[in-house]
Amino acid sequence: MIEQLILALPMAIVVIGAFVLMLLSKSTRFNLDKLNLLAVLFLAIAFIMQYFTLGNHTIAFLFPDVFGESFILDDFSTIFDMMFTGGAILTLLVNNDYIKSRQYYSTEYFTLILFSVFGMIMLSHAHELVTAFIALEIASLSIYALAGYHKNNKVSSEAMMKYMVLGSMSSAFFMLGTALIYGVVGSTSLTEIALYTSSHTIDEMTLLIVGASFIMVTIMFKIGAVPFHSWVVDVYHGAPYPVTMFMASTFKIAIFAIALRLYLVNFAPINSFWTEMLQVITILTLLGGSWLAISQKLVKRMLAGSSIVHSGYLLIALSSIGLGSELAAPAIMFYLLAYFLSAVGSFGILSFISVHSKKQMSYEDFKGFAERRPYMALMMSIFMFSLAGFPSTIGFLGKFYIFSAAIESGQILLAGLGIMTAFISVYYYFKLIAMMYFYPSQTPQKKLTINVSTVLIAVMALLVIWGGIGTSLIPFIPGADGFIDIAKQAMSSLK
Amino acid sequence: MMQHILTFIIFIPLFTAIVLGIMRASTKSLKIGAMFSSVITLFLVAVVAYNFNPDIGMQFTKNLPWIQNAGISYIIGVDYLSLVILLLIGLLMPPLYIYMYHEERKGYWYNMMLLQTGVTGAVLSLDLVLFYLFWETMLLPIFVMIGKYGNGMHQYNSMKILLMTILGSMSMLFSILYIGYIYFETTGMWSFALSDLAIIAFEPKTSIWLAAGFLLAFAIKIPLVGFHTWMAPAYGSAPTPAVVILSAIMAKLGIYGIWRFGYGLFESTLSYYAPTIIVLALIGLIYYAIRAITENNLRKMFAYSSGSHLSLIALGLFLTNIYAWSGSLYFIATHALASAGMFLMIGLTYKRFNTVHISDLGGIASKAPIFTFFFAFFALSIAGLPGTGGFVAELLIIIGAFKADFWIGVLTATTMLSAMMYIFWMLQRTLFGAANKECQYSDLTLREITILLPLVVLLLVTGIVPSLFIPLFEPQLTTTLQDVLFVIGGLK
Repeated sequence: MIEQLILALPMAIVVIGAFVLMLLSKSTRFNLDKLNLLAVLFLAIAFIMQYFTLGNHTIAFLFPDVFGESFILDDFSTIFDMMFTGGAILTLLVNNDYIKSRQYYSTEYFTLILFSVFGMIMLSHAHELVTAFIALEIASLSIYALAGYHKNNKVSSEAMMKYMVLGSMSSAFFMLGTALIYGVVGSTSLTEIALYTSSHTIDEMTLLIVGASFIMVTIMFKIGAVPFHSWVVDVYHGAPYPVTMFMASTFKIAIFAIALRLYLVNFAPINSFWTEMLQVITILTLLGGSWLAISQKLVKRMLAGSSIVHSGYLLIALSSIGLGSELAAPAIMFYLLAYFLSAVGSFGILSFISVHSKKQMSYEDFKGFAERRPYMALMMSIFMFSLAGFPSTIGFLGKFYIFSAAIESGQILLAGLGIMTAFISVYYYFKLIAMMYFYPSQTPQKKLTINVSTVLIAVMALLVIWGGIGTSLIPFIPGADGFIDIAKQAMSSLK
Repeated sequence: MMQHILTFIIFIPLFTAIVLGIMRASTKSLKIGAMFSSVITLFLVAVVAYNFNPDIGMQFTKNLPWIQNAGISYIIGVDYLSLVILLLIGLLMPPLYIYMYHEERKGYWYNMMLLQTGVTGAVLSLDLVLFYLFWETMLLPIFVMIGKYGNGMHQYNSMKILLMTILGSMSMLFSILYIGYIYFETTGMWSFALSDLAIIAFEPKTSIWLAAGFLLAFAIKIPLVGFHTWMAPAYGSAPTPAVVILSAIMAKLGIYGIWRFGYGLFESTLSYYAPTIIVLALIGLIYYAIRAITENNLRKMFAYSSGSHLSLIALGLFLTNIYAWSGSLYFIATHALASAGMFLMIGLTYKRFNTVHISDLGGIASKAPIFTFFFAFFALSIAGLPGTGGFVAELLIIIGAFKADFWIGVLTATTMLSAMMYIFWMLQRTLFGAANKECQYSDLTLREITILLPLVVLLLVTGIVPSLFIPLFEPQLTTTLQDVLFVIGGLK
């Protein structure tokens, strides 16, 4: 019992933290700063505990006598947990100044973040479809509320409405899929489903495939794959910067946690059914996302559009899994890590800039940025390089693995299309660099403020570079190899 | 020390730049640091050249595992081909820094150091992914220098060169990945080392489009006609040091790429592409020359001239006989020296007259004799004046062309004629006659002469005693050529 408690502690700490913050939020003694610190503290403890549970190589169920096999604990979920808590910590710390600079931030913000992290953690541990649904809804509902956090702003409210209505509808598909699968298998436990899929032929499982496809619809919606993408750009634009950052980097990863678990283990025998569908969606996502990203004037919207393209790359790897590629699963993990670092960094810089200005941050506003803030411009360039997949950054290796996996699985044309969209992405990412560096500044150089945000962004930038060129020759410091080793470790714990 | 010497040559400039950047160095210490790094690199390059053994292939090799999961290693080495370009980089950087002496903008210096690391790394790396890394890296400083410090529509032109070059490199990346996968399929391991990949026998159909991926990247970099739309705008907008590197080093890297990776990986497939490229090169040879005749902007004129001569080098490479190959290799070196000198002269012209348009110049000869001498010398050595290195090289290529086919020979020979045409006409309009615009200017200063004199001496030495240099590369060049011919012959 005690062992079980220890294993469940990281998850519990987050939810306890959420409740504690909720209770404290009305107290006058705690201002935003203190609450932020407290939230980070809870998350940090959870992060450290997750770190120590990593590498046990044991697969255990949490409280099996109470929950049955609802919650699984393996390296796969732990690594995802670390990304969620890490992402939340970064979101909170980097945006500390931003939160204080806006009047509309109140104390519930931290509670909501912690609840959504709890939902995500639950999602990565979920080993049962209804649990997964509840976890997804916990995470999503918090994010809906966060997206509309700027109540008096029309764009923000519109974002929330759009996201909530469409998101709830897509969640309904998840429920419907679950019901159908329950009708076939007689259970919603993933263990039972895996048993059923591996012991029947595809012809006997028509209803199950329909159900699983409905679940896929929800997943596609949440990662913003075309044609379920219509919300992405508007919601990312409407939400406040910290929330956009949290959605783009952390929440997207959470969806892949459940997608990978379902796709790799439980639906593995029926993967081949989706291959063509996935390929079509991938092509649409890559092209549609590129189109959206090119046509934007605001940097935030461009990043939103490009996040669709990044989902497209991940989908390439997902369909490679179905075609039996060995590399694809670790490639997805690695790519998520790479995208996480670069997205957190770039959105962090955007929110850092908007602390002092209320502008919308269009490309034009970045003119002369390199003269005003040379270091920030350098780091922004590094993140852009990484997002564009420029070599010597972690983003390049991410694309390298994804495209290798695609070639390995025989999807040569898809790999070619991926490389083509990577080429297109060079345009909209480098346009920002061109804006920053190639135009003179109207205002003089500003002094570099060294605070938590800037230091963390600098650390992210270093990680992005180190993840791309880091050698494993230096003892005790994992290089670029270390990241993919982690990804492989996570994947091996799944099977 | 000796086994790490190439690593030092590659990374000393980058390292200097990083250290100076972290120290937030003043412009003065930045200048000293850059100068210092380039002199040390030159010294190390000289050590390599001195210890270079012409009778064996790859030397000073270093092989370290880098990203083992993906089979990417850090493999560098130098042979006759890379030595030539390495020497050029080493020799050109110090004069360029002296040229930039009055440059106060810090970004300029950082970019130049990064650029040196990029081009050196690309020349020395023997792992495909490592090569790709440096190949992309060297584009960044050029992109920033054109965009930030250029003139004219520089922002637009820098984006243009960036996108066109990256289009090429992306296609190359695709081929690299596919080759890596084929190696994985045959051996069960991932590797991107050139020596590992060279032994793979590709299926003819696969190898044709794999080679196309590489050739597109190199054709854009050279640029062959049809892939050249970035060239004149970029050369026209770029600041002088960037132009010098662009024409003297980076364009040559396109040729180098075909030589090293094209002939290293798919000898037989290149003979499939040879007719196409020979035709493209011949068209380029003549087309660029005509464009050069009509051009009024000196930078653009020599951009086209450079394109014309690079087409000649590419032509020589694809003719695959010993004269053409030696000529091409020799021309890589001598054209780099001559065009570096010429673009430096154009930069000096701009400093004096604030224009590079021929129609605004004139009557320099009577006022500035030393300037006139250097200007005319470099211009004529580009045209292939007997006694300069360019003449020897062009002659060798033309002989090679005649050996291959009479008509190719005839068309190739027109290059000397057309070059003489645009050079002499340009000289007449810029140096002689009456001044079109009155302005005060001085003759070359001592500092400017020190920049240019080494180039003049080298051009003369390469032109008068080519026997000094040919033994350096001849034995290995012959062996490589025989290997290539053997493979191609084996197919027929």
